[in-house]
Amino acid sequence: MGELTAIGFRPGQSLLHRLDPRTKQALLMGLSVAGLWENLTFLVLCTVVMMLCVNDAGLHIRRLILEIRYFFFFLCLVFGVRAITFTGGWTPTLRADVAGEALTVCWRLLLVVIMGVLLMATTRTADIRAALVWYLKPIPLVDEKMAATMLGLVVRFLPVILFQGAEIADAQRARGIERRKNPLIRLMRFTIPLFRRVFISADELAAAMQARCYNEQRTFPELSFTWRDGLAIGVGILTSSTVLLP
Amino acid sequence: MSIIQISHLYHRFADGTQALDDVTLTFNEGEFTVIAGANGSGKTTLLRHINGLLFSESGTVAVCGKSVKGDPFAARQQVGMVFQDADSQIVGETVYDDVAFGPENLSLERQQINQRVNHALAAVDLSGFENKMPHHLSGGEKRRLAIAGVLAMAPRVLMMDEPFSNLDYPATCRVLEYIRNLHKNGHTIIITTHDLEKVIAHAQRLVIMVQGSVVEDGIPADVIDGIERYGIRPPCSVQLGQGIRPWVN
Repeated sequence: MGELTAIGFRPGQSLLHRLDPRTKQALLMGLSVAGLWENLTFLVLCTVVMMLCVNDAGLHIRRLILEIRYFFFFLCLVFGVRAITFTGGWTPTLRADVAGEALTVCWRLLLVVIMGVLLMATTRTADIRAALVWYLKPIPLVDEKMAATMLGLVVRFLPVILFQGAEIADAQRARGIERRKNPLIRLMRFTIPLFRRVFISADELAAAMQARCYNEQRTFPELSFTWRDGLAIGVGILTSSTVLLP
Repeated sequence: MSIIQISHLYHRFADGTQALDDVTLTFNEGEFTVIAGANGSGKTTLLRHINGLLFSESGTVAVCGKSVKGDPFAARQQVGMVFQDADSQIVGETVYDDVAFGPENLSLERQQINQRVNHALAAVDLSGFENKMPHHLSGGEKRRLAIAGVLAMAPRVLMMDEPFSNLDYPATCRVLEYIRNLHKNGHTIIITTHDLEKVIAHAQRLVIMVQGSVVEDGIPADVIDGIERYGIRPPCSVQLGQGIRPWVN
């Protein structure tokens, strides 16, 4: 149940906590795009800024690494795919120049994830939702309020689904599911009750939302752009402009 | 003064089960009613009709004189419903967000929403929990949060579906205390349960349902005798011949 806590909102008074969620989302998008240039100066500067922000936001580096540990497997995979080549048959070869490039890609991806974690940890989901509505509003054919509600429900119900999954897995282990060697049967036995419970929960949730007068004309959190946001965007632009350095 | 009028209400589920069978009831303002019945007797279905979550094939439900079918939104504002499973009722990512969900749906001003949230959280002793994640709360705290979420909508009637299920003794005592306080403060309370023990001493009226029909309706002391025949366990004090006594002092 507590699996997702470190990347959930943590109340605080840090600079990031006080920024407008629109600013944080814009910075996340802008810096992620700037990272595509894979400029070493930018990556170093961005890493320093991120570490300062992580520290300021009161997140512990060790805990952060622990929470995103599974992402490191993905990074290893990305590194392997990009850096290891097969030359002259089935012998894998690691070339230093390609490995450097692969490391840069992994570094960039890691920075994007850390930025995402910082956004989640310093912003209420309601505020993220309000900012999303603001960004999606000008886009035609997109129901921004519905999209925002869906985002909120995903964030709310992910831990519940994980908890239900863990409960089903425990109940099946208690009845010796491990003796079943066929992974397909095990998967089937796990997913069918999980889906059933998720659908029942979704149905109950819809009723509960209706009971509390859910409609699309809701009051959203008030967003305000202050001098801090201007400063943060300035720092973001300066950091991003380092991609132009050789 | 009557606040809810139900007249000749029928409901049949898709599998053919007759969930409600000619139910006619009137609830008065400020009344504390317990609806008891065995599993599948139609208690929850009845509450869902009052809250406008289900609509009748035949019969009418009116809240404050307005048909629920005609204006379910108005009915939901007047009648707050606390579901049996608090987990599925909690919508917000934090305690604050969850309690604010209802007032936000009513398009209230932010200041008014904050006032209502603070008031509702204080009423169930959850002040200071605003930034906590609901799935980190205990079972009793979740139930209180569900009550706060409904209270923040300022309903006149509070309906609770099995409010004591899955709660330990201290949590049950606290929830019971909050329900009593809400009643003292003028709320109309309707509770469904199959376990009368905890709440019956505080109720002014007891309705018994069997297979979708109302079979008994009256003052608890008059209805309680021989209640086993409807599949409901009588309170211990009644079994010991001491009449209806409070579950906790």
